Amino acid sequence: MAALRSSSRILSSSSRAAFRPSAVFARSMATVSETEQQPRIKSFQIYRWNPDTPTEKPRLQTYSIDLNKTGPMILDALIKIKNEQDPSLTFRRSCREGICGSCAMNINGQNTLACLCRIPAESSSDVKIYPLPHTYVVKDLVPDLTHFYKQYKSIEPYLQRDTPAEDGKEYRQSKADRKKLDGLYECILCACCSTSCPSYWWNSEEYLGPAILLQSYRWLVDSRDERTAARKSKLENSMSLYRCHTILNCTRTCPKGLNPGKAIAEIKKQMALGA
Amino acid sequence: MASIVRPSLLRQTALAAKPAFRNSALRASAFHTSTRRSAFISPGPQRIEGTVNDPAPVPPPSAAHGSYHWTFERLLAAGLVPLSVAPFAAGSLNPTTDAILCSAVLLHSHIGFQSVIIDYIPQKSHPGLRKLFMWGLNLATLTVGVGLYEFETNDVGVTEAIKKLWKA
Repeated sequence: MAALRSSSRILSSSSRAAFRPSAVFARSMATVSETEQQPRIKSFQIYRWNPDTPTEKPRLQTYSIDLNKTGPMILDALIKIKNEQDPSLTFRRSCREGICGSCAMNINGQNTLACLCRIPAESSSDVKIYPLPHTYVVKDLVPDLTHFYKQYKSIEPYLQRDTPAEDGKEYRQSKADRKKLDGLYECILCACCSTSCPSYWWNSEEYLGPAILLQSYRWLVDSRDERTAARKSKLENSMSLYRCHTILNCTRTCPKGLNPGKAIAEIKKQMALGA
Repeated sequence: MASIVRPSLLRQTALAAKPAFRNSALRASAFHTSTRRSAFISPGPQRIEGTVNDPAPVPPPSAAHGSYHWTFERLLAAGLVPLSVAPFAAGSLNPTTDAILCSAVLLHSHIGFQSVIIDYIPQKSHPGLRKLFMWGLNLATLTVGVGLYEFETNDVGVTEAIKKLWKA
């Protein structure tokens, strides 16, 4: 082994220029097999609108990429397009694993997270990507969620109580009470459900929308919270809660598999029964 | 979905260019439904009340418009099922059940249309239009109410009429 290595070193030192190409060839076995593969070209039609030219109509721009050189998810494709083809393409992304909710967008007619949505490699049709529907667009795929966050703030999404903890340390909760929060606390506020709700499209200024109502219910059922009555009275009007007509687009679209429709129904039940 | 999204997104930015194409758009809109739809109620540009750090305003609580309204609506809707079956199941025609059925249907449709108006005509941006439609609905409900009363008192009544139509 040692002899081999020394001989190769001699070789390389003596005839470096001649040896290099063959060495590269030998090392890149993988790339050889890659070139044998057929390129799988997929076209992406992406919504483009630039605030710098506001009178220009929004348009769909088509990008074609080779799926063999792309990751499996839509977000991988978007990042590849931005890196290699068009650095002006604008979209939000952060965690690339469905926990931050930044990359929510409308992909092939469904609101979902780009990082959790596979590129439909089997179908030959183009992938169409739009920003979240009925939102004010900042640029390209970036929606303005200011009002959405203001609404979230209006439900006071934090623990409120007046009595101190029994042991002076922690607010304890039974296992059954903790179980009630499952399916509620996982919400990442990506706004996929709210922007898929027709009621929210028409009345987003006053109706809170499924995402915020799910969070509202999360604090209503929390056994440690002591402001249930105040929280309920905030929903006692015709707009905040009762614009929900059980369309259930929210449950259908949720990329985290949660059920905002059921949460809203539970709030309505609580409000009706006064429980 | 995309076709619904695009015009509304455009509107925010097209404000500057509006006077230029408004007339031609109005004239042509009757013939071109697909490309440039003129919205009856446009959302207009985005308005943010207060700063971005203020919570969205919460309307004053009113159970009559909230939970009581919802409960009443659901009970009424559920009550319509036995009310519409009862006269035929019992086989007898009772003017009292007829009257209850008529008023329940009237209230049910009134609340339903009210909901449609609240959904599609925003109070904030179109208060006048909202008022007009609400009064129009009140007038329609009153007219139907008077009509049903006349039909019940001077004619055969709703249940009997349906029975006759069914057998005719």
